[in-house]
Amino acid sequence: MELIFKIAWRNILRHKGKSLVIGVILFLGAYLMTIGNGVIAGMDKGIGENIINSFMGHMVILADKERSDNVLFKIYGKSVAPIYNFVQIKKVLQDDPDIKYFLPVGKNAALILNEESDMGRAFLLGVDFKAYRQMFPDNFDIIEGRFPKNSERGVLIPAFARKECYDFMNIWLLPEGGKVIDSNLTPEAKENKKDLILKDQEVFMGARDDNATADVRVGIKGIIKYKALNAFWGHFMILDIESYREDLGYFSAYEKTESVPKESQALLNLDNSNLENMFSESAVVVADKKREEIKSLKPAVRVNIAPLNLDAGAYNLVFIKLWNGANLDKKAALLNKKLKEKNLDVRVVTWKKGSGVIGSLAVIIKGILFGFVVFLFLVAVIIIVNTLSMAALERVPEIGMMRAVGAQKSFVRNMFVAETSVLAGIFGGLGIILGAVTVFVLPAFHITTQNDMLQLLYGGDVLNPILNTGDIFLAIGQLALVTAASVIYPVHIAKNITPLDAVVRD
Amino acid sequence: MGKTIVPALRGIDFAVEQGAFLSVIGPSGSGKTTLLNIIGCIDFATAGTVKVGDQEITSMNDRQITDIRLHKIGFIFQTFNLIPVLDVEENVEFPLLLMRKHSRSETRKRAITLIEAVGLSEYIRHKPAELSGGQRQRVAIARALVTKPDIVLADEPTANLDSVTGEQILTLMKAMNEKEKTTFIFSTHDHNVLKFAQKIVQLKDGLIVQNQ
Repeated sequence: MELIFKIAWRNILRHKGKSLVIGVILFLGAYLMTIGNGVIAGMDKGIGENIINSFMGHMVILADKERSDNVLFKIYGKSVAPIYNFVQIKKVLQDDPDIKYFLPVGKNAALILNEESDMGRAFLLGVDFKAYRQMFPDNFDIIEGRFPKNSERGVLIPAFARKECYDFMNIWLLPEGGKVIDSNLTPEAKENKKDLILKDQEVFMGARDDNATADVRVGIKGIIKYKALNAFWGHFMILDIESYREDLGYFSAYEKTESVPKESQALLNLDNSNLENMFSESAVVVADKKREEIKSLKPAVRVNIAPLNLDAGAYNLVFIKLWNGANLDKKAALLNKKLKEKNLDVRVVTWKKGSGVIGSLAVIIKGILFGFVVFLFLVAVIIIVNTLSMAALERVPEIGMMRAVGAQKSFVRNMFVAETSVLAGIFGGLGIILGAVTVFVLPAFHITTQNDMLQLLYGGDVLNPILNTGDIFLAIGQLALVTAASVIYPVHIAKNITPLDAVVRD
Repeated sequence: MGKTIVPALRGIDFAVEQGAFLSVIGPSGSGKTTLLNIIGCIDFATAGTVKVGDQEITSMNDRQITDIRLHKIGFIFQTFNLIPVLDVEENVEFPLLLMRKHSRSETRKRAITLIEAVGLSEYIRHKPAELSGGQRQRVAIARALVTKPDIVLADEPTANLDSVTGEQILTLMKAMNEKEKTTFIFSTHDHNVLKFAQKIVQLKDGLIVQNQ
C-alpha cells in the first residue's frame, strides 16, 4: 500500500496540470456543497425559530374534527374546524408546567368585499390583541398607524397583504386617520398615486365550508411588517377575535355571555353539520350582497360594552409556546394524552405538522439543492473521467511495463484509485474545511435582507448558516461517491492495458 | 474488406537450457520480438504450447501468468523500461515489493547489491529522466535480476545505445549470467554483439533457419 501511495503521490506531482484540473473541480464541488448544506441547515433552523417565535409557537391545538394537521396554509376556502370548549382546554394548559404561553386564535380565510371593484382574499387571524402581544412581543413593526388598544375592535394589515389588495383590487389601505406615505407605496402605486382609491376600513366575509358567515366592516388600526418571512406571515390580517367570530358566523363571547339562554346551551355543543340539518338554509347568511348593501354596513361598534369573557367564544386553534422546545414530539404526545383523558375532542400537533409545507420547506429546498448538486457532480464526474482516461492512455508504456514485471490488475486499479482518492482527500477535503470555515464566519458579518425571497433562503431576515456533523459527513459521502464514480471507467481502461500494448506502443 | 492474418511465427519448436546465454537474431519482421514476448508470457501463441520450467502457461489465467512473470521472468525492454516517478533504488526494488515476501531490509540489501553490480551506486537517488540510455538499461538489468528469475528476456537491449555502451551492457549481462546462472535470451539484429552469445537461434519469416 505504501508503494501504491508513493507512486500515486508522485504521479500527481508529475502531472500537475491534470491534477490541478481535477483538484479544482473537486474543491469547488465540495466547497459549494458544504456552504449549501450550511445555508440550508441555517434556513431550516431559522424557519423553525421564526414559526415558533413569530407565529405559531411550538405546538398547536386543533379540533379532532379537523382532518388535516396542516392548519396554517390550507387550500384556499377550506375552513378550519372550530373549537368551542377553550375554557376547559385552558385549564389543562394552565396546569402543564412545560407551557410558557398559550394563545387561542381564530384562523380562517375570508373574502374582502368592496364597493368599487372585485373581491379580494385574505387569511384572518382572530386574536385578543393583548394576549397576542404577550405571546409574540416583537414579531412585527408597525409602519403606519398604531397597535389596537385592549378590547378595541379593528384589524392590523400586513404590508404584504396591502400590496396584494392594491394589486388585485386597486385599493390602497391606510390606517384610520392616516395619510399616504410615499416611501411605503409600491412602485406601481407610486406611479398611480393621484388615482389611488384609499380606504381605512375593510369589509370581510368569512369563508366557511358551510357558508354560515356574515359580513363585518372593521377599521384598520395599523399597517404592520413582520420582521422576517413577511412573504408567509404577511398573508394574515390580524383581526380582533370578536369581529372575527361574527364574520365567521361563530358564537362570539358577547353572544355567549349575553344572548344564549341556558336551555340552548346544548345547541352549542352540536357540531356544524347538525346545526345545518336543524336550520337548513335559513341559517346561511348569503354572501352575494349588492354593493349598496356593502356600503351600508356600519363598522362594528360593540366596544367596551362590558368586560367580556373572550374565552367563552369559539376559536379555531390554540398556539402553545413551551419553556423548552426540546423533545417536542414527546411533549406533544404527553399533552395529547391529557387532552384525551379529559375528552376535550381536540388534539395537539407540533409546529412542523401544523405549518405544513412551510415547516418542510428546508427539506424541499434541500431536495432541489441536492438535484443541483447531482447535476454539478455529473458534470464534474464527466470532466474527471475524461481527464483520468486520457491520463491512463498516456501511461500505457508505464502501466504495461508494470504489468510485464509482475504487477497484477488489482495493483493498477489500486494505483488509480489511490491517485484519485489523494486528490479528492486533499482538494475535496480543503473544499469542505474552507466551506465549513465560511459557514462559521458568515454569521459574523450579520448579513441581513428585507427581500422576501432571500428571507426564505435565510430562514429569516439574517443569514445564519450552520453546519452540523451530519452535514459534514454528507459532504464527505458525496465526495467519496464522486471519486468512486469518476474512477470506474479510467480504472477499467488502465486494468485492461497489457504488456503487449506497451510493446506495440513502443 | 476482411482481415489479413500474417503469422509472425510458424511452427517453431525449440528448448532453452537453464543458464544459457542465447541470442535470437534475424532481420526486422522475422519474429524475434514475438518469440520473446511468447516466452515472456506477454503474448500468446494461437496454437502450440509454451512451458516455463515445468509449468505449461498456455492454459493459465491472467493472474497466474502475471505471477509467472513476477517470479520466473525478468525483462529488459528496448526503451520503455523504468517507472518514471521512482528513483533507481525504488525501480530495482519494485518487483520485490510486488512479491511481498521479503523484509524491507532484505529488499533494500538485494537492490543495493545489484545496483553496485551494475555500477550505479552514485546514482541511487536519481530518477530515470536524470540518467543516460545506458544507465537506464543497467537499472533495467538490475531490476530484471533482483527477483532471481529463471529467465531474463532482453529485446534488442542495445538498439538505442552507442556501440561502446551496448558492449558494456552485454558484458554486464554476460557477467550476471555467469555469476547468477540465470538464463538470458536476447534478441538482436546487430552481428557485432553475437560474440557474446553461447548459442544463436536465427529466425527468418517466422521460422528457425539456424539453431547453433
